[in-house]
Amino acid sequence: MTSGGALAGPFENEVTLSFEVNGRRVTRRGPGHLSLLRWLRDLVGVTDPKYGCGEGVCGSCAVQVDGQVVSSCIVLAAQVDGAKIETASGMCGDDGSLSGLQQAFHEHHAAQCGFCTPGMLMAAASLLEDGRHRSRDEIREALHGNLCRCTGYGPILDAIEAAQAGREATGPRAGSETKLVAG
Amino acid sequence: MSAGEIHSSKAEELRVVNQPLPRPDQREKIAGSTSYAADFGMPGMLHARLVRSQVPSARILRRDVSAARALPGVVAVFLGEDVPHNTVWVDVPGQTVRVAALRASMEVLATDRIRFHGEPVALVVAEEESTLARACQLVEVETEDVPGVFDPFEALAEDAPAVHESGNLLAEWNIDRGDLEEAFAKADAVVEGTYSTQFVDHAYLEPEAGVAWVGDDGVVTIRVCTQVVEHYRDVARILGLPESKVRVVAPYVGGGFGGKEDMTVEPYVALAAWRTGRPVRMQWTRDESLLARAKRHPMHFKYRTAAASDGTLLAEDIEIMADSGAYAYLSALVLLYSSVHACGPYKVPAVRMRARCAYTNNPPTSAFRGFGGMQVVFPYECQMNRLAAKLGLSPDELRKANALTRGDELPVGQPIETEVLLAQTIDAVREAAGPAPQPSRAGKLTGRAIASNFQSYGRCTWLNDSAAAWVGFQLDGSVSVRCGVPDIGGGQASSLAQITAEVLECPLESVTVYFGDSSLTPLAGTTTATRQLLMSGNAAHVAATLLRGYILHGVALELGESEESLELRDGEVVAVGRTVPITEALTMCRRLNVPIEALGTFFGPKGKPVEKELKTDRVFPDFTFGTHLCDVEVDPETGEVTIVRYVASHDVGRAINPLSVHGQISGAAVQGIGMALLEEITLDHGVNLTGGLFQYLVPTATDVPDIETVVLESGEGLGPFGARGIGEPPIGPPLAAVASAVADAIGAWVTDLPITPERVLKAIEESRA
Amino acid sequence: MFVKPFRYERAEDLAHACEILRSHGDGAKAIAGGQSLMPMLNTGLLDCEVLVDISHIDLEDVGVRDGYLELGGLVRHARLASDSRVANSQPLIATAARHVGNARVRNRGTLGGSLAHADPSAELPLVMTAIGAKVLASNGSEVREIAAEELATSFLSTQLAEDELVVAVRVPVLGEGWGWSFNEITRRLGDFAVAAVAVLLRTAEGKVLEARVAAGAVGKTPIRLGGVEAALSGASRDELAERAQRLDEVDPPSDSNASAAYRKKVLGVLVRRSLLEAFDRAGVGESGAGGADAAESGAGESGSGESTDGSGRGEGQ
Repeated sequence: MTSGGALAGPFENEVTLSFEVNGRRVTRRGPGHLSLLRWLRDLVGVTDPKYGCGEGVCGSCAVQVDGQVVSSCIVLAAQVDGAKIETASGMCGDDGSLSGLQQAFHEHHAAQCGFCTPGMLMAAASLLEDGRHRSRDEIREALHGNLCRCTGYGPILDAIEAAQAGREATGPRAGSETKLVAG
Repeated sequence: MSAGEIHSSKAEELRVVNQPLPRPDQREKIAGSTSYAADFGMPGMLHARLVRSQVPSARILRRDVSAARALPGVVAVFLGEDVPHNTVWVDVPGQTVRVAALRASMEVLATDRIRFHGEPVALVVAEEESTLARACQLVEVETEDVPGVFDPFEALAEDAPAVHESGNLLAEWNIDRGDLEEAFAKADAVVEGTYSTQFVDHAYLEPEAGVAWVGDDGVVTIRVCTQVVEHYRDVARILGLPESKVRVVAPYVGGGFGGKEDMTVEPYVALAAWRTGRPVRMQWTRDESLLARAKRHPMHFKYRTAAASDGTLLAEDIEIMADSGAYAYLSALVLLYSSVHACGPYKVPAVRMRARCAYTNNPPTSAFRGFGGMQVVFPYECQMNRLAAKLGLSPDELRKANALTRGDELPVGQPIETEVLLAQTIDAVREAAGPAPQPSRAGKLTGRAIASNFQSYGRCTWLNDSAAAWVGFQLDGSVSVRCGVPDIGGGQASSLAQITAEVLECPLESVTVYFGDSSLTPLAGTTTATRQLLMSGNAAHVAATLLRGYILHGVALELGESEESLELRDGEVVAVGRTVPITEALTMCRRLNVPIEALGTFFGPKGKPVEKELKTDRVFPDFTFGTHLCDVEVDPETGEVTIVRYVASHDVGRAINPLSVHGQISGAAVQGIGMALLEEITLDHGVNLTGGLFQYLVPTATDVPDIETVVLESGEGLGPFGARGIGEPPIGPPLAAVASAVADAIGAWVTDLPITPERVLKAIEESRA
Repeated sequence: MFVKPFRYERAEDLAHACEILRSHGDGAKAIAGGQSLMPMLNTGLLDCEVLVDISHIDLEDVGVRDGYLELGGLVRHARLASDSRVANSQPLIATAARHVGNARVRNRGTLGGSLAHADPSAELPLVMTAIGAKVLASNGSEVREIAAEELATSFLSTQLAEDELVVAVRVPVLGEGWGWSFNEITRRLGDFAVAAVAVLLRTAEGKVLEARVAAGAVGKTPIRLGGVEAALSGASRDELAERAQRLDEVDPPSDSNASAAYRKKVLGVLVRRSLLEAFDRAGVGESGAGGADAAESGAGESGSGESTDGSGRGEGQ
């Protein structure tokens, strides 16, 4: 836990924030200057959102805040106090099973080094959330803000298309219904 | 043939290997539970950050850390004088032969001389990460500018400022073969071209990070994202400790591409942990990674290619100049790769090749996927396409007519010893691609081109390369593999599981691979040079085969049967008339003092060390060949280039996991396309202007089409089951395929990378002028 | 990542926000969506003592009144891109908003934040300049109206006082006979523009009656292309290409993305394409009615006499 004593400056900057992270209510006290990414990683212990650039460009830190996908590295944690936060690890079932979207990522080799994967999953989940069918080109365009340096993107698009097809075959909310999306 | 297919020439009965099995490591990555280097922490952990030079060339006049040390929360500030042995030796772990100036050194923390923008000067350690920004600012470093040099040609001029006292020429390699003058004299066609490539960053998504701690046994352990756990030797030398007292653990790495081949955070977290006695974490920011970690060598090429009217290549006259930046790192070796691959996958009877690399005050350059063997694809394949045009020949036939085949010698003297399917890869991409592209609307231009290449896999032969792996049965019949291979995302660990499961006839799920620990797993060498499938793959194959022999031996003894009459199948030993479950077989072995575990060591092929004048019997173990096809559409008014279709075909020998093979080819092709069209580290007199991923243009999903692959399997590779390495080979062809396709579209050549819209527009205008 | 610590203050209302900003002077910065500010803080390009969170102030209204579309300063890009009132009243805004960054940026970034950040290559300041929007700025007690094209004074600089915030933007609803167009060149989709053009144009009987033409990324602020505008009056469709080249007053910057010369060259291309597109839209009377999707991909030249390709293929890959 970060302590205020080590913070340089003539002021006290601690805040107490409370989030519902992947269904778990977590209240912590910490420095008010932390991004949501650092708050989640350093204070809540949820490390699947990754630091990749700190500029909101790479997408590795993507999470959902109250249902909207954002770059957690450029959202100030204090600004979204009280929000419901969903991350990729929260897509798994309580027994650790993979969601339909995650399973499609696995089967289609959509992860190699895996570092971009949690952010990719969030982008994909947010895209498919409204249940509207997306063409491959629409999926491609929706992913343009998420960088991957290993796969060349094709396998990721394959996975998202497969997850979409699977969901359309079984109804929009089949599978792990209570979980994030695209179950 | 169409994309997505695998074409195998020698089908074997394979059950686990060669199957497109989802990789076990990916499940945890997708579940978000993999603990990468920066995801790991320890109680009482401190945080560290480097103070880096703001200028590219200077003398340090004064360093004052008193204000930083006085800041509440700062635990320590270290300078070069605080490092027991303040030298990073640039070396190849395990190497026993010296290569040119390879054993050059740099300071861990600079004390006197600054040679590049971003060079580390001080190390700040604090209780909280939040303190570090302010604390680093309080470290005072007073410098006096020293004239620098920022261009390799200028660096070799007589009156150039010396980057190092030894002089600015870092390494040179020459090839002289056949009668060059005669060849050019009798040539029907000569194509001349100059080409250049740029500074490129690896831009893996995971910035450099690691945690170090001192255990209760006094061992300094570093858990770090690295391609080389054997850097523990370098850290030991820096700290003045025995090599047995330093341990490096590599968790799953978030991308390497050569950028985590040299040390990054290791000496700093180790020093801080050693000196404070507490765990220390360091994580580089993205701008820090872009600023200070070694880049891909920019290269300048001058090619003169001579051919007969029927397309027979007669000679290549080649000059290569590479920018090594401020420190040697692996420059000499990178340049050697350029030299050996400089003529491409072709028979060239007469060759004059001069390659040099020079120190400058630019960022250091070192390993990057393709390692010098990829930059040269740009000139040699653009030359081939120009030659085809000049002679009015088909680019396919020109390549096929000149392609290396088994028994041909490379210009350095190494014979090709395995079957070459270059012609088949050319046919494969043509067949998959079909008819030429049409403009999507009036005014757009389209173009198509191919580029072939070859790239070595496995380390230079004279480096005495070896890898070890341990395979053992647990008493319940499950299998453990221990191997020091670092897994950087290419499936390096999971391929060992597939190989082991194949040999031991057990389910893939029953195999667990422990990897990447320099103290607890047998050393397997570096995850570099496309060597791990060859090296650790063969080591695992050797170990598993030994173990299989032990088990059969034990059961044969017990049953009084011959070993030849037994076989392992589906987790059982099958004998005449009965089967023995594996658990029972293990019990038999233990009772009879037969081991149920085995250590396998694989030694790489050997060759003679090279001299400056390159002539040798064998530089590399073997090569992987391939061809890419690219379709582009160009907007001639704006110069914007869209890649509309991309097909890649390689002979991978044998695909251990076809999913991984497709992934490697697709990812490498896109990384190559990024270098061709988008990526560049921008410098102004050594000052790095690229401050983030908003400026460093990594291709996104909308910048590339699906990469279509056609995988050929000759079964001729030196790896397990006849596999060849495929990690690096597919990154070279995009440079020439894209450039040549653009040239096909606009009727003019852009020969400097990246091919920006601006350069395309300029080429169009100049060709019309 | 290594952000210098600052104090977080949440403003309860506008007066409170302005009061904190006033009392801290240079040391305070306002944060709305934070999509430009946070990257600058993260990379050390900027630091502050106090960060004033204005995102909870109620400034998110979108409304159409008396022929004007009024947009609250905290309306997010995603809403600009999707709200039918925006698309019907000023399709240029909806279209430009779709070009901003990526989905994550659009979910957080705000109109007021973009205008106050004043990046000359950003989309929203450009279209507001083209439209002739009025920016309403408040210091908590007084509201003043600033012409959008006068808001930015230089690169990342505006005429807003330390304690002033953008509370709303007022734009005229696009009237009958108007056509519009937005085009930009970026190195990659979603990147800041190398050059960008926004056009509003009214025609009658095949001639241009009125035109507003603005360009982004070619100066220290978005600029009106006065030379082009002046030349357009009375122009027929066939004359647009020539009029598009009246760019003498444009003096673009050079940077790692593009040289000044390239920017100027492609600016001419973009202006021509945009004028043709806007002209054709004006002609078919599709100015309003949510037509923002209509000609996104097209350069609108197909009717110009340049024949379409013979392959019969419509859109490219």
